[in-house]
Amino acid sequence: MTGLPSTLAGRITLVVCSTLILLFLVLPIVVIVVTSFGKDAFGSFPPSSWTLGWYKVLFADGSKWPAALSLSALVASLTTVFSLVLGVTAATALVRSNLPLRSAVYGLVLAPLVIPQVVLALGLFLLFEPASMLGSPIAIALGHTVLASPIAVMILMATLQGIDERLEDAAASMGAGRLTVARRITFPLAMPGLVAAGIFSFITSFDEFFISQFLSSVDTVTLPVQVFNVLQYDVDPSVTAVSAILIAVAVVALALVAAVRRLSGSGKQDGLLPTEPGVGLTAGSETAT
Amino acid sequence: MPETDLMPEPSLTVPEALTGSGKPLSVTRLRKTYSGVTAVDEVSMEIAAGEFVTFLGSSGSGKTTTLMMIAGFCEPDSGSVVVGGRDVTRLAPQKRGLGFVFQQYLLFPHMTVWENVAFPLQLRGVPKAELRRRVGETLEMAGLSSMTRRRPRELSGGQQQRVALCRALVYRPPVILMDEPLGALDKKLRDQLQTEIKRIQQELGLTVIYVTHDQEEALVLSDRIAVMRDGRIDQFDTPQELFERPRTPFVADFLGAANFLPGHVEEQTAEHTLVRLDSGGLLTARPQAAQDGTRVRAAVQPGRLALCPPGDGFCTGTVETVTYVGTLVRATVRPVGGAHSELVRLELPAGRAPALGERVGLSAEPGNVSVFPDAENGG
Amino acid sequence: MAVLAPVSGSAAPVPRKKRRSRVSLSDRRTRFGLFNAAPVVIYLLVLFIYPIFSTLLLSLKGENGGLTLHWYTDAFQGANLEILLTTLRISAETSLLSLVIGFVLAAAVSRLKPLWAGLVMVVVVVPHFISALVRTYGWIILLGEHGVINNALTGLHIPGAPFQLLYNETGVVIGTTSVMLPYTVLLLYAVMKGIDRRLMAAAASMGAGRVTIFRRVYLPLVAPGLVNAGILCFILCLGYYLTPALMGGEKQTMVASLIDEQVMKQDQWNGAAALGIILLLFTFAGLLLLRMLKSAGEAYRNRGTAS
Repeated sequence: MTGLPSTLAGRITLVVCSTLILLFLVLPIVVIVVTSFGKDAFGSFPPSSWTLGWYKVLFADGSKWPAALSLSALVASLTTVFSLVLGVTAATALVRSNLPLRSAVYGLVLAPLVIPQVVLALGLFLLFEPASMLGSPIAIALGHTVLASPIAVMILMATLQGIDERLEDAAASMGAGRLTVARRITFPLAMPGLVAAGIFSFITSFDEFFISQFLSSVDTVTLPVQVFNVLQYDVDPSVTAVSAILIAVAVVALALVAAVRRLSGSGKQDGLLPTEPGVGLTAGSETAT
Repeated sequence: MPETDLMPEPSLTVPEALTGSGKPLSVTRLRKTYSGVTAVDEVSMEIAAGEFVTFLGSSGSGKTTTLMMIAGFCEPDSGSVVVGGRDVTRLAPQKRGLGFVFQQYLLFPHMTVWENVAFPLQLRGVPKAELRRRVGETLEMAGLSSMTRRRPRELSGGQQQRVALCRALVYRPPVILMDEPLGALDKKLRDQLQTEIKRIQQELGLTVIYVTHDQEEALVLSDRIAVMRDGRIDQFDTPQELFERPRTPFVADFLGAANFLPGHVEEQTAEHTLVRLDSGGLLTARPQAAQDGTRVRAAVQPGRLALCPPGDGFCTGTVETVTYVGTLVRATVRPVGGAHSELVRLELPAGRAPALGERVGLSAEPGNVSVFPDAENGG
Repeated sequence: MAVLAPVSGSAAPVPRKKRRSRVSLSDRRTRFGLFNAAPVVIYLLVLFIYPIFSTLLLSLKGENGGLTLHWYTDAFQGANLEILLTTLRISAETSLLSLVIGFVLAAAVSRLKPLWAGLVMVVVVVPHFISALVRTYGWIILLGEHGVINNALTGLHIPGAPFQLLYNETGVVIGTTSVMLPYTVLLLYAVMKGIDRRLMAAAASMGAGRVTIFRRVYLPLVAPGLVNAGILCFILCLGYYLTPALMGGEKQTMVASLIDEQVMKQDQWNGAAALGIILLLFTFAGLLLLRMLKSAGEAYRNRGTAS
């Protein structure tokens, strides 16, 4: 932590501490992936023998997992569409126009990231319960969009800020109208940002638990809610396999974002992952400023 | 100047530009203020087909704002812009049919060189075969045929600006606007591209409005130069006129870094004005309507001064510095006598360099000396 | 707003057609902005602001329909008060732990070469995007009586092993910290990366020892980041539900669980609403504190430059 040459002992301590901390972050994830392939689901670690059985059980007849999975996928897809629509328009307004009360709008857009989710979930429950929309995929997706759209807005704002506005002027000077400019210039250049915003919206919804919990009904339950119920009440060893699938979805999604960035050559490559993961965090600090 | 016969293209959006009596471009009393500060003040001008016109001025002179109002990126408070007889003052940039070359090139990073140049033709629905021919021809003319498949980021600055130029002229707009297009390039490349721009402009008979703060560039390229200051055009003339008959001290100074010699009018005739300099000498200048005895400043470019034996000419002095600049010599002379004697700068061919400390006389042709009333402090 | 000045005769003839009302460029940009901001603003008003507002109303509604504060007095009594205090305690413990661990890791990463720093940050960030539920489940497997941790501790003959690590406060704090850690690491890393290392070298050249440099130079520079990360972490913990619900025992019930129970099991919406509003007020207080500290810090620094 200084610009000074560090002592060997200091360096070793730091490396050991950091490794332990990284293990602290990674271990709970690794243990699930490994256990999901072990014969003795809750038993010893590492498992004594290996199996794909838990994954097969998931899709066996009478399993309640496929329904939960497809509901989650449906809700996440709807959320992605909603928050992309909101994200594109809001980012355009915030970056490419003279918006009156701009900072108020910006604050409103980011507020859902710092408000306790219980409060939001409760409020949405009060909104949808009288309308008897509990358990409706649309209602759950509308709720998830409140959480996903700030992330989409922030990613798309960064994307738009990264596109030289004068490129649009240049196209206009050659005779391209607003729509043509959007279609031929802005859209292709914003593609990586759109993909990232879409993916982050999707996994935000796919992993969301609390709002889903409040807005679910007995027979329509999302994947995380199902996992939670199993962990709290039943004992169903296949939950480990479901958890591993949730991990895989998130990892694949993040890899996709990184790949799109890399391929399009956009984004400053100072990390393997772009700045988006920090998005939720900076949001918090910015609303506070 | 080649005539406009190169320009008609059936697919053009602004055919009116080439018919009738309409000039390609006329600007009338354009005004623009930004939060109370006047950026452009009543600028008017007309530009003929095939003409290369430069807006020359330092930053803040309003030259770029004027260009932006012509292009449509910025809206005038009042005044009008007429392109080919059509009032475009309130039209969006894309409906004006002009061409624009930006200082920052602004090539589309997701398109190849070819796609960049083809883009404006695609917008106009030019048939494939013709599009291919025109893009090919244009790129060849700019010496870019070998790099059509490259992306902008794989090109050097000079190459990028050449592509930008191609992209602006491939659809033969009636007027091409250029905003300091060479500003981001180094000196050598700039010289090379200046020549190229001039060649292409003359070959195709393009009408160009060019913005720069570089006098030399303006002199090399332009048919006419509008010297701008504080949002107004000081003088709009051919380079030669500006050089030889500057209408304001500012123009004299900005274009040629003129020497300003204080004095008063001693005699007025139809052929010349005699100015008694404060240093004592008598200088013959172009005729200027001024009363005898008026305080004036006589302006003469360093390159228009000649050496003569001491005692002859309008001033005698000693050579203080001599600097070789390539084939030229720059020297300063400290005049003898007079109340306050400012240094006089001169430029001579290298062969005629004076020695340091030498006593010399200075003379100038009357036609090269302008006289300005002293009140006008432009320098 | 902009009126065309009369055109003098010298110019090319200007067609004096009737034009549509002229909208200035800046007005057009404003209108464009309003048009594009409308969807998100309307959306959030309906699905974010209104629900919170109706929660507030519900929390103030008495059984007979009149206004009352009785749900709030309820919330600060008996078992409810205890739960509130537990929530504050666990949030504080978790924030402190995340801050300390996050500080060590961020300090280490900020000294690494960019490639390695990037890799480590991937390890920090990827878990952040994996469901907290799943990570909590991972901890349940790890911390069980015969889980990996206890097995390892027993294997090392640590006295007292196996420990009770689940369904008590230790478990809750461990689990919640692992969820919050990416936040603190990222926030602190951003601050630390912005610190000019040569400042430390400069301090050393004046004869300052390592401890002095850390205490007098490094810590003050990082302090705003620590405050920022700590308060944000605390705010996020306050309303956190998952990990305490799954890894805690009776005594680790937090407000979010209480709200859930009141709504789902007891149909006690008004009480739940009041608890939610209390959480919200705590959050606002935290954000306000953050802002005040920030402006105080700025004022302090400005005072330094002004005098």
